[in-house]
This record gives sequence, structure tokens and C-alpha cells, in this order.
Amino acid sequence: MSQSLRPYLQAVRSSLTAALCLSNFASQTAERHNVPEVEARTSPEVLLTPLTIARNENERVLIEPSINSIRISIKIKQADEIEHILVHKFTRFLTQRAESFFILRRKPIKVVGYDISFLITNFHTEEMLKHKLVDFIIQFMEEVDKEISEMKLFLNARARFVAESFLTPFD
Amino acid sequence: MSIIQQHTQATLSDAWRTINIDALQEDSSVNFDTSTLHPALPETSEAEVRQLTNQVRQLLRGGDAEGALRGCLESPVYRGRDEAKEAHLQTVIEVLQSIKASDMTPMLQRIYASPGGTECLDVLMKYLYKGMAVTSGGAGKSNPQTPTRMTPQQTGFSQMSGRPGGSSESTGGAMSVLLSWHEKVVDVAGLGCIGRCMTDWRKV
Repeated sequence: MSQSLRPYLQAVRSSLTAALCLSNFASQTAERHNVPEVEARTSPEVLLTPLTIARNENERVLIEPSINSIRISIKIKQADEIEHILVHKFTRFLTQRAESFFILRRKPIKVVGYDISFLITNFHTEEMLKHKLVDFIIQFMEEVDKEISEMKLFLNARARFVAESFLTPFD
Repeated sequence: MSIIQQHTQATLSDAWRTINIDALQEDSSVNFDTSTLHPALPETSEAEVRQLTNQVRQLLRGGDAEGALRGCLESPVYRGRDEAKEAHLQTVIEVLQSIKASDMTPMLQRIYASPGGTECLDVLMKYLYKGMAVTSGGAGKSNPQTPTRMTPQQTGFSQMSGRPGGSSESTGGAMSVLLSWHEKVVDVAGLGCIGRCMTDWRKV
């Protein structure tokens, strides 16, 4: 792991551990409803200060805590246009299968720049282990960078092969 | 048949459907007054911030980095114009960057042990998060990271991509300072420090 990645992931880990203190909290606007307050935004007093952790301007994490849910949005490293396209395809692939990931949000949040979002509610923390949830997010962040750069390498190799075989008849 | 009897330009569009009628009610939870969640805060003007910045710089020049850090953490700008807040943030970051990595932990431990030290470290944590949010250009501010800002894909032999823009080097450097401070503060003051930073309504 590179030198600057470790403190970044460590900061995300400690912030997530601190933020994942969720309790059951019913909606104050609609009776017998129980909604994630961070999404509904109907009670300003239960929304906590959002935290941003950034490694550089291309990689950052936004954690929006509230009383019964937290939302984690990740901006994945995109150094050039190819990576931009790959990240888009990759996050689309994941979000279309969001129900298998339980905590994955179907859309990234509206704030410009974030590629993928997770929504953890108190029901998730009740049935899953908190440290495993944190581990999952951290592991996702580690793996996604590797995955994207691997995909980019494959793509370039394939493109070169295609170009070669396409241009051979004209040789 | 439409429930609207008289059609005007406003009713013909669907915009009225998205009005949040709960917010119009006086006792709705949307209208909770969050200013009741923190004590009354004194307003800090830009002149006061400048004065403090000068004092802090003087301490830094004199080699008293700990005094400088304490000085700017003991008078955070909770209420004031954005420029004042921004200026104070820059002062804090300047102090943080001037302290050597090996001095961080002992200094934080000394501050933590002194009276009012926990409060100081909470404020420091708030500034660390704010510093990362502001310098990375995120957090509410809409600056579209469009591909126009990116370097074109290098074709051919090189798999190495160019760094997007020259500025990312310097922001990356500032960020790694903030990240290492973050780690040290959590080591000294614990996770409660982050918790207080989230729940405190006195925002820097």
C-alpha cells in the first residue's frame, strides 16, 4: 500500500467507526413511518455535520451522519478520460445490482463529483457487525482503484491488439 | 377532470406538485430552530482574525509552534462572515504545515493534558475536516469535475498517465499533512473527538 493511501484509509476508518452510532428513530412528520433521516431531511436537528476526507482533489469521501442513518459517498480516482469512462461503467454495473449489496445506494448523491454512495441505516447495523461494515467500505475503496487500473491496462492491451490486426491488411 | 378549476400558467406546469406543504406549517419538524442547539456565539470580524493571524505568525517565527497552535485553536471563528472563517482556516493550516511530523504526537499529548485541552483538540479536528473539504473543492460547492479538466488519454506506448493539472501536487501535499494530523489526533484524543466534531452545532 502506498505511503499516502494508508493515512487516508485510516482516517476514513476512524471517521466511519465514530459515525456508525445509529439508533432507531421514527419519522417526526409521518406517523408510523421510519425513514433514513439523512435522505428525508425533514428534521434538521437530527442531521449531523458532514465530514469530508480527501487524499487529493481527485479522491475524497463524504460522510453524512444522522441519527438513524449515514450516507457515505466516494469519489474514485480518475486521472484521465479512460478512467472516467471505466469508473462510470463500473459504478453503473454495481448500482444496478444494488439489492445484493444491501448498503449500496442506487444513485450517487446529487453533490457533483461523487461516483458511488452507500446508505447505512440502523437496521443494517442491527443485523450486521459494525466493524465488518467499516471493513467492507475500506476494502471496497482499496479494491476499486486496483480494479480500475487493471481494467485500463486490459483495455489498452486489447486496443493495441485490435488496431494491429485491423491495420495488418494495409501493411 | 382536473381538481384545479382555473388554469393559469403556474397551475398548468407540474411545479406546484413538488411544493413541500409540510414546511408551510409552523410546528412542522422541518422548521426546527437549530440555533437553539448551541449557546449564543460571539461574532468574529475579519479584522480580529487578521490580528490573531499576525500574533500566531509572530509566535511561529519565534519558534513557539505549540503556542501558535494553541493560540489559533482557542479562538475559533464560529460565527462570522465566510471570509473570516476562511482566513482563520488558512492560519490553522499554515501552523499545522510548519510543525514537524516528529513533534506532532508529543505536542498533542501536552495540549490534551493541559486544562481545556480536549476542547482544543475538538476544534483542531473540526478544522482538519473543514480543511480537507475546502481544499479538495468538495462539500456542497458545485465545481463540476468535468473531463475537460483532465489530460487527454495518452495513446501508444506509455501506460503512465499524466497528472491532471499542476495544482494537484500542492493540494495533495497539504492533504497528506492534514491526514497525518488527523491520525495523530485520533491516537491522542480517541474516536470521541470525531463524534463531538459531528454533533457539535458550533461549526467552524
